[in-house]
Formats: sequence, C-alpha cells, structure tokens
Amino acid sequence: MGSKKEVYQGCLAMIQMFHVYKTFGKDLEALVDVDLHVHKGEFVFLAGSSGAGKSTLLRLTFRDELPTSGQILVNGRNIVRMKSRAVPPLRRTLGIVFQDFKLLRDRTVEENLTLVARVVGMPTLEGQRRVEQLLKLVGLSHKAKTPPYKLSGGEQQRVAIARALMNDPLILLADEPTGNLDAELAADVIRLLLEVNERGTTVLVATHDLKLAKEAGRRTVFLKQGRIVEEWS
Amino acid sequence: MIEKLKHILAHGLINLIRAGWGGIASIATIGVSFVIIGIFLLLVLHLNALVAEWKEQFQVSVFLDDRITPTQLEILGKRIQNEAAVKATTFTTKEEALANFRRELKGQESLLEGLGDNPLPASFQLKIREGYQSPDTLKRLSAFLSRLEGVEDVQYGQEWIERISNIVRIMKLLGIIIGSVLTLGSAMIVSNTIRLAVYARASEIEIMRLVGATKAYIRAPFLVEGMLQGSLGALLALGLLFAAYRFVALTFNLTSPLLPTAANRGFLESSMMASLVGGGAMIGALGSSIAVRRFLKM
Repeated sequence: MGSKKEVYQGCLAMIQMFHVYKTFGKDLEALVDVDLHVHKGEFVFLAGSSGAGKSTLLRLTFRDELPTSGQILVNGRNIVRMKSRAVPPLRRTLGIVFQDFKLLRDRTVEENLTLVARVVGMPTLEGQRRVEQLLKLVGLSHKAKTPPYKLSGGEQQRVAIARALMNDPLILLADEPTGNLDAELAADVIRLLLEVNERGTTVLVATHDLKLAKEAGRRTVFLKQGRIVEEWS
Repeated sequence: MIEKLKHILAHGLINLIRAGWGGIASIATIGVSFVIIGIFLLLVLHLNALVAEWKEQFQVSVFLDDRITPTQLEILGKRIQNEAAVKATTFTTKEEALANFRRELKGQESLLEGLGDNPLPASFQLKIREGYQSPDTLKRLSAFLSRLEGVEDVQYGQEWIERISNIVRIMKLLGIIIGSVLTLGSAMIVSNTIRLAVYARASEIEIMRLVGATKAYIRAPFLVEGMLQGSLGALLALGLLFAAYRFVALTFNLTSPLLPTAANRGFLESSMMASLVGGGAMIGALGSSIAVRRFLKM
C-alpha cells in the first residue's frame, strides 16, 4: 500500500485519482485519464452534460465500480486494491445523495434515517438524537412522522441529505442533487450542502447546471466525454 | 449485537409475513415433501424393526407330534442340539404354548372359549448360528428335521424375512431418491419465494449497501426467512403425519396384541422429529442462499 509520502498526502487530500480510466464493454469510454485531487474540507462541483462521466466518477469514488485502470485513494486508502470486505467500512465514511432521493416510500422520514443508524449498529438512543439534530439542520423536524412521498421534491432531497449525514461522513457525494428540483429549491439544496461543507465535510457535487455552480462560486471541474477539460476555482 | 440479532430475526419474520401466499406456498410444498419423506421413513423404520424382531425370534420352529414319547423327545432334543447350525434351543410344552397364547390374547381370552382340548403342539424353537442363516441352509435343515421321528412340522420364516428385507432395502433406496428430488424441488420453491422477497426489498437493500451495511447483515434476514419456511413446513408435515399415523393405528388396530411388538414402536422418536425440522430449516437455508447469491448483486 503506497509509500509513506502517499499516505501523508492522503491526510490532506480526501479524494485522489491517478490516471483513472473506465471503459464499459469494449469501447464505451466513460472516463479517460482522469487526475483529480480533492482536498480535505473542499467543496467541488463536477460539471458536464449528461454522459460526460460525472456519475461514473462518483461511483468509482464510493466503489460501486472499479476503474479499468488507474488508482483511487479515498482518505489515504487505495480503494482499487481494497478487499470487498473493506467496502462497507469505506461507505460508512461517505454520505451519498442521488437525483432521485432513493427514500423508502413505506417508512416515515424518521424511519428512513434510523435505517442508517441500525445498519451501522449505532445505539438506539444515539441514533434518535442524531435524527433529531439532522432533521433540525435540514429544517424538517416537523415532518419526522410523514412518509416521504407526501413531501415536496426539495424537502425529499433535504431528507436524503440528512440521511447521508447520519454516519457523520468525511465526504458527501451528491449526484445531480438538484436535477429534479426547480431553480429556487435547487438553490436551497446547494445552500444546505455549503452549510454541511462549512461544518468540515468534504463535498463533491455532480451537476449539469453550470449556473448553479457559478453562483456558488466554488471550485468546478468540467468533464467532457470522460476527460477533465477545464477547471475554475 | 443484540440489536442486530433482533433486527435479523424480526426482519426474517416480517419478510415471511409479507411474502403472504408465496410464503404459504413455500411452507406447503415443503410440508408435502416432508410428508412423503416421512411416510417412507416410518415404513422403513417399522419394517426394519419388524424384520429384526423376526430374525431374532422365529428362526426355526419344530412342532412335535402329540404322541411323542419322553424317550423319543430326549433323543430328538439331543439330535437337534448336535446340529452345527443350531445355536440354542428352547423347548415349549403344549401347556406352555397355550399359556403363551393366552397371554398374547390378553383381554380377548373369550376367543379361546369353546376350544376343547389344547390344540397347540409342543415345540422346539431353534436359534440359528449367524453363518447358517441363509435361506438355502435353512431349507436343508428343515427338510432334515421334518424327517425325524416325532416331528410333525417344521416352520421357518427366513425366506419371507429375506423377501421383506429386500423390500425394505428397495423402499430405502426409493425413499432416498424421491426424498432428494423433493428436497431439491422444495429448495427451488423457497429460492423463488426469497427471490421475490429480494426484489420487493430492492430499494431498501440498495440503500443499506450505500450506507455501509455488510453482506451478512443484508443476507441474514433472507436466510432466516428461508429457514423459517423450511422448519414450519417440516413441522406442518410432522403434524399431518402424526394425525395420519394415529388414524391408521386406530383404524387398523395396530396395537393388537397379536402383532409383534415392533409394530407398536410408535411414532418417530423426538430426536428424529428434531432432525426433520432441522432438515427443513437447512433446505430453507439452501434455497434462500441460492436466491440471495443469484439475485442479491453485491
């Protein structure tokens, strides 16, 4: 596992990708020679049209996929060479948010969050306290007992963000979190993500909405046909 | 830890209830399979016990002429004992034979009323050495014995004991083959039910994976569900078998004193019932792990 220097760098850098390629099938190149370094505490937008490889890049980060070649370090650990047994502990250090929220329809907001507490073996009381804190953070304390489908899209996404924060993750990965929301609600969600970032969580947000990224005024990495083509900061 | 165990058991049970008709179909299929397996098991066990008892008890009986003289009797006894095939002999007088018969008919002695003289003959019961227990040897022995003076008849059950032994052997084999086919079929049915359960919970499983649930944590409730289906199926089968057994035993009066005691050996022993239920659980676990492996992509 890497040199001492690499491990040291890993402490400063949260996500490091070295010459990462991902090819699906024979010739569908989703990512081509991607080098990306996200520092601890940073907020980074991953911009590009659909099919540019944003989702693939995120999936590689939470090890839903393995790169065809190249190395990826998350919090200093090489996740490409990681055994599958080590994946659940890795995921417990990540929070993941999707465009379609992925909330369970047959549970209340609260139950959607406590699911995480149960999965990671958090003591019940601690889990309940955490649910309260997070629902307060996303401004939905009064909707704790409501099933998600009775909430607006923006509210659902805030629940999903609260759920992603249950583990107190080092990194929050969001794949088009505003994709299903109108401009106003989208801005709300981004504000919430910025707030989360201010509390110390590294945030990586994939979006096709350039305007949103621009308004937030954070580092933005552009992907086009699987390559990093431009960066603003 | 206890929390997790609670989760796993509770969700196994919840899944089973949510499976509704699918779960019931699984349990019923396993139940039917186990009833058939159980019937074979009961038949084989009973026949085996019967054969063992017969082998032990009636080997060769030499019935004596009522007119035999004490001297003839003495000579005959010695001759029989000198036979290489004979391990031991027991002599039963006419009176003893009647007394034995009376004892066997206990409660139904009235059957004996109206018998004038004692119709039962005195007899020698021969135990045969192990090396001589083949049908051929016994045939030769009985032919020889029946020619001796004072002997009225010689009976040996060996031939049809052999025949029954063969039937038992064939039934065992048949039971094993049919049992394995049914077991495999049951495992497939469970597997199908669990597959539906996995699909029904696909989104929850996806989320659990994303937030860092271990494979075991996700799989365990499905295994529990399968094992519950299996063991409930086996319990159902035992219930049905027991009811049927009681019914048959009462209807055909299997507790009759005229039957050898092996027929009265009762229902399956509790250790055997436990292994059947355990076997059901294992079939359930097998079916469910097939489903989980194939349909729970992780």
